[in-house]
Amino acid sequence: MDVNIPKSLDELPTSEVRWVSKPIQRVEDPSLLTGRTEFIDNLTLPGMLHCAILHSPHSHARIVSVDTSKAEQLPGVVAVVTGEDAERWTKPIGTVPKGWGVRSLAVDKARFVGEPVAAVAATSRYIAEDALELIDVEYEPLPPIADPSEAMKDGSPLVFEENETNVMIDRTFTWGEVDEAFDQADHVYTEKFRWNRVGANPIETFGVVSQWDPVEETITCHGGFQAPAYMALGVAVRFRIPPNRVRLVAHPHGGSFGGKGGGRGTDITVMLSRKTGGRPVKYIEDRIEYMIAGGSQAWDRRYEASLAVKSDGTVTGLKVKLLDDLGATGEGYAAISAAKPLAAFTGCYAIPAAGYEMTVVATNKTPGSPYRGMGPPPHNFVLEQMMDIAARGLKIDPAEMRRKNFIPADAFPYTIPSGNEYDSGNYDATMDELLKMSNYEELRRDQEKARAEGRCVGIGVVTSIEPGVFNNNIYNILGNMGGTAVPEGVTISIDIFSKITARVGFALEGQGQYTFVAQILADYFNATPDDVRVVCQDTLSAPPHYGPGGSRMAVALSGAVLGASDMIRQKLIAVGSRLIGLAEGDAEFMDGVVRAKDDHDRKIVLRDVVGAILYRSDLLPPGTEPTVDATYVWTAPDRGMPDDQGRAKSYLTAANACHLVMVEIDLDTGKVDILKYFIADDCGTRLNPAVVDGMTQGGVAQGVGAALLEEYAYDDSGQLLTATFMDYLIPTVHEVPPTEKSALTTPSPLTPLGTKGMGEGAMNTTPAAIMSAINDALSPLGVQAREVPATPNRIWKLVQGARDASKDS
Amino acid sequence: MKPAPFDYHDPATLDEAVSLLGRLDDDVKILAGGQSLIPLLNMRLARPTALVDLGKITELDYIREDGGAIAIGALTTQRTVEHSQLVRERLPVLYEATRLIAHPQIRNRGTIGGSLAHADPAAEYPAVALLLDAEFKIRSASGERTLGAADFFVTYLTTALGPADVLTEVRFPLLANGVGWSFIEMTRRHGDFALAGAGATLTLSGDECSGARIVLFGVDATPVRAKGAEQALVGQRLSEELIASAAQIAREETGEPLSDNHASAEFRRHLAGVMTERALTEAAGRAGWTN
Amino acid sequence: MDELMTDNRKVKVTVNGVKYEASAEPRTTLVDFLRAELGLTGTHVGCEHGVCGACTILMDGRSVRSCIMLAVQADGAELTTVEGLSIDGQLHPIQEAFRESHGLQCGFCTPGFLMTIFELLEENPNPGDEEINEALGGNLCRCTGYQSIVEAVKIAAARSAS
Repeated sequence: MDVNIPKSLDELPTSEVRWVSKPIQRVEDPSLLTGRTEFIDNLTLPGMLHCAILHSPHSHARIVSVDTSKAEQLPGVVAVVTGEDAERWTKPIGTVPKGWGVRSLAVDKARFVGEPVAAVAATSRYIAEDALELIDVEYEPLPPIADPSEAMKDGSPLVFEENETNVMIDRTFTWGEVDEAFDQADHVYTEKFRWNRVGANPIETFGVVSQWDPVEETITCHGGFQAPAYMALGVAVRFRIPPNRVRLVAHPHGGSFGGKGGGRGTDITVMLSRKTGGRPVKYIEDRIEYMIAGGSQAWDRRYEASLAVKSDGTVTGLKVKLLDDLGATGEGYAAISAAKPLAAFTGCYAIPAAGYEMTVVATNKTPGSPYRGMGPPPHNFVLEQMMDIAARGLKIDPAEMRRKNFIPADAFPYTIPSGNEYDSGNYDATMDELLKMSNYEELRRDQEKARAEGRCVGIGVVTSIEPGVFNNNIYNILGNMGGTAVPEGVTISIDIFSKITARVGFALEGQGQYTFVAQILADYFNATPDDVRVVCQDTLSAPPHYGPGGSRMAVALSGAVLGASDMIRQKLIAVGSRLIGLAEGDAEFMDGVVRAKDDHDRKIVLRDVVGAILYRSDLLPPGTEPTVDATYVWTAPDRGMPDDQGRAKSYLTAANACHLVMVEIDLDTGKVDILKYFIADDCGTRLNPAVVDGMTQGGVAQGVGAALLEEYAYDDSGQLLTATFMDYLIPTVHEVPPTEKSALTTPSPLTPLGTKGMGEGAMNTTPAAIMSAINDALSPLGVQAREVPATPNRIWKLVQGARDASKDS
Repeated sequence: MKPAPFDYHDPATLDEAVSLLGRLDDDVKILAGGQSLIPLLNMRLARPTALVDLGKITELDYIREDGGAIAIGALTTQRTVEHSQLVRERLPVLYEATRLIAHPQIRNRGTIGGSLAHADPAAEYPAVALLLDAEFKIRSASGERTLGAADFFVTYLTTALGPADVLTEVRFPLLANGVGWSFIEMTRRHGDFALAGAGATLTLSGDECSGARIVLFGVDATPVRAKGAEQALVGQRLSEELIASAAQIAREETGEPLSDNHASAEFRRHLAGVMTERALTEAAGRAGWTN
Repeated sequence: MDELMTDNRKVKVTVNGVKYEASAEPRTTLVDFLRAELGLTGTHVGCEHGVCGACTILMDGRSVRSCIMLAVQADGAELTTVEGLSIDGQLHPIQEAFRESHGLQCGFCTPGFLMTIFELLEENPNPGDEEINEALGGNLCRCTGYQSIVEAVKIAAARSAS
């Protein structure tokens, strides 16, 4: 069957689009608002026990012995597991690159503070925690390695002795004539940057309820899983059982942002269940556990970047050198974050040549995890800083500097030097809109007036590309990813009352996907969103899927829904045309009816066609199955393997945004106040503008946190100093400014309905925008902030340095 | 994060509580609002073997004017202080300090006595108590005693309260008419503990400063009286330069500021000076000084 | 290890107008008691150290963080949780306002916000921007960036005024 997926709203079989692209209220909301949604901690199963985990207090230590005998005696304790159990029952987690994974419980040594060493299943979490205190672990502390530069040197303590090095990845990419560009440049600007660890911290931590069935030898896990099918496969491989003996049930979860984590908790609870003879075991990660050992930390980076520029401001080359401290293992797949910048390495700019030196190193810190953006946020911060540096050096207005270098609107599809292809865009239009909505010239005048009054005010104007629709292909440069493109499947069915059910494989985590599925199906089948139910299936029942991640669902999920809908549409036409005596080629499906193309009054309504298919086999074309349902699995086309320089079409869509931020710095306290914030954003067709704006604002909030407040700090011995919400500062309503947003629409020619992925959006842009504004504010003082977050202490030190320097001169 | 087990007592009256504390042999913690204690219990950083919950005792919930001071029962919630007409009108500096405490939910449960007994050096109540030279009434099985603020705060999270003592009342002397005041702090986020803060009261005769009290908080193991800065002001004609030089002196009186990942000791010391300068300026304005 | 006398205590609470009597260890937190003992799972746990506000409920009309309260401290009190806001599946005006303004995404922090806002609007039916921010400052949201939550408060306030 040839499947035709509409590429724009007017290709939908409706004469009036009533639902898609409208900001309708979400179908998920009533249940969430009334507290009825079944987050994982709501689940109770008969005989269920509770797990507590003993974490290593050392960042690097040999485990000499683990004595659990006293813990086992505590009334209420049913089972205890240690590394010994992990060793006999599981394989180490697979990583990319290969060889940097361990088991869920430390066996020979602990490699980071917080690494699980033992675990208890008891009748309550309270008792389980009491039992932890009765476990005796003898550690032999080893010299810790916490500095990534030191970790690269010969003679450094090794996190994985068997790998004989701490360097996980060391690669250089050269795209185009980079050396030539730099040799021939009129100006070369070089700068170093430091981006400190930040991470997802959804308000709900990871949770899981696992059950091992000793008779069937199956594993069932309920949990707040992101990417359930992939998690399930991982569990099967690690426990050495066939994949069809593992069933994961994904529960709606309280946010994820990539950093939900959960691999270790899942394995540990499975082992505990096994040890109890098959009782369900629940583990709810507490906040401290999440922060030290969960999916909590990302992007511990040191950058050096250079820009080659002509005197007129044209950028001819970009070089970026990255040292990425990944922490103790590759279990979080955070190495991918170092490679994702390839998808938008040169941002919105037509820079013809670029180079990337990427070094990823292991240290005795919490293993890095994914976080919204998956690598581009720090990279884009660096790129935008370099553009500002060049603009300042050449005395060009920063907005002008961007414009001069934009990929022109008629150049799409555009292949950037690092190999990805941008589908469409009109960056000039986005910038025009931003400058207009912000009244840019007046803001600059306001800035002058403020400066004359002695106030330290700055304006940042930055742009970004958001790569959308995550695919695996380029990551094969890091190791075997097991493939190239990522699937998303949906089964659609229509019942005798014309109600529509969509069966998906992922659970909600906040991005409103079930709502846009309902919107699309409502327009497609002339129904209302209330007629549609979206149901999440477990991993053994669901069609192949990945779920949310990498800004893919607007495209991938709508592709799956539209694909399945088209298959049903074709069947409706085949049957409906026959029922009203038409040749199939003379009939069409529009506005919920099958009708003659040349006589719209000759028609049969959906309900009657469905009824016939389900119950009147005598009226059907021979061989027609008596069912109105279809499964379609969408995947991005043309995702080939990368060449030796990592080049390939990777992320299918390129949304773009321009942000303008105005800040004021209190030079005496170093505190940064955001005065104004404007966003012009183009993510193609918006399936639900309210959802898009909400995701943008959420990205702004996380961006504000990254730029000003959030930081995982370690001491020299690898001890985490910021393990609670008292120290890791998440922005509140007081710290996140409301923003003014304006939407542009340059549809994608490649996607269902012309949508583009945008979920990670503002996270790519906001940190860059705030830092740009801060540096604009500081520039009259002759100092610049190159470290993120720009805390009051750091800003003050810069200002002090400037004041001392001016005293000396 | 679940607490370790403890024995629990909930006396219905103050007498019962005092008598109980006198008898208990355990490692006891008193529970008032619990906003500081229960997080510590959850993290097992505090592991008392017995908890004495004063929550049922109603007799310590009051705010009254009493001979030139406002007397507040130790179990009065911060919210009650915040919404007290009496406090707002007669001792606005205490109102201001209360408003800076965390968030409404914390203030709904947290008590003034609990905050003072917990003695976090970056907290607002210990600082305002020292600023106003508050008096602390303490009861134990052996009787009652009164301590001045300067003697009450001993060091980091430590007061002069013994294991069988109950803080029953705090008396805040009213400020004389016309005395200017200020209470400000520098935080990373709204409602956080202060990186550094300053409280000031200023008495002016015309343009001349006839009285000054300056307290710094967040900079040492307890709130600190910046006596040197005070002395630099008294008897002098107020000016921007005088305020600035007093702030400089205050910087040097900060003791041993904590250095952590939020702020270095050096930065805290600097902030102490900035807060002093701003507090003095604001207090002077409230005292009627026009620059 | 010495035997500690941590006898369970009887806790009597009224929650959303319904009387309950249940047993709890003194160390059981109020949020765990509500969720596990009383089966009221609408109140969520986010941090267990009193910062994120996901666990916010009303005790005798006042918003409190139930993760840093012991169940025994609520003995004799009247509690309101998110389950008490809607009646027979009909959303409370504040919940309606959230739906309209798109004031939630993952929804995990939402019950805590709803209770905080319920208290705010009872006390101050027409709050200004600063008062709204002051009230909401103790609830963290990781998804929305707050703008639509503030809008929800304004919608709810305007609606109850008319």
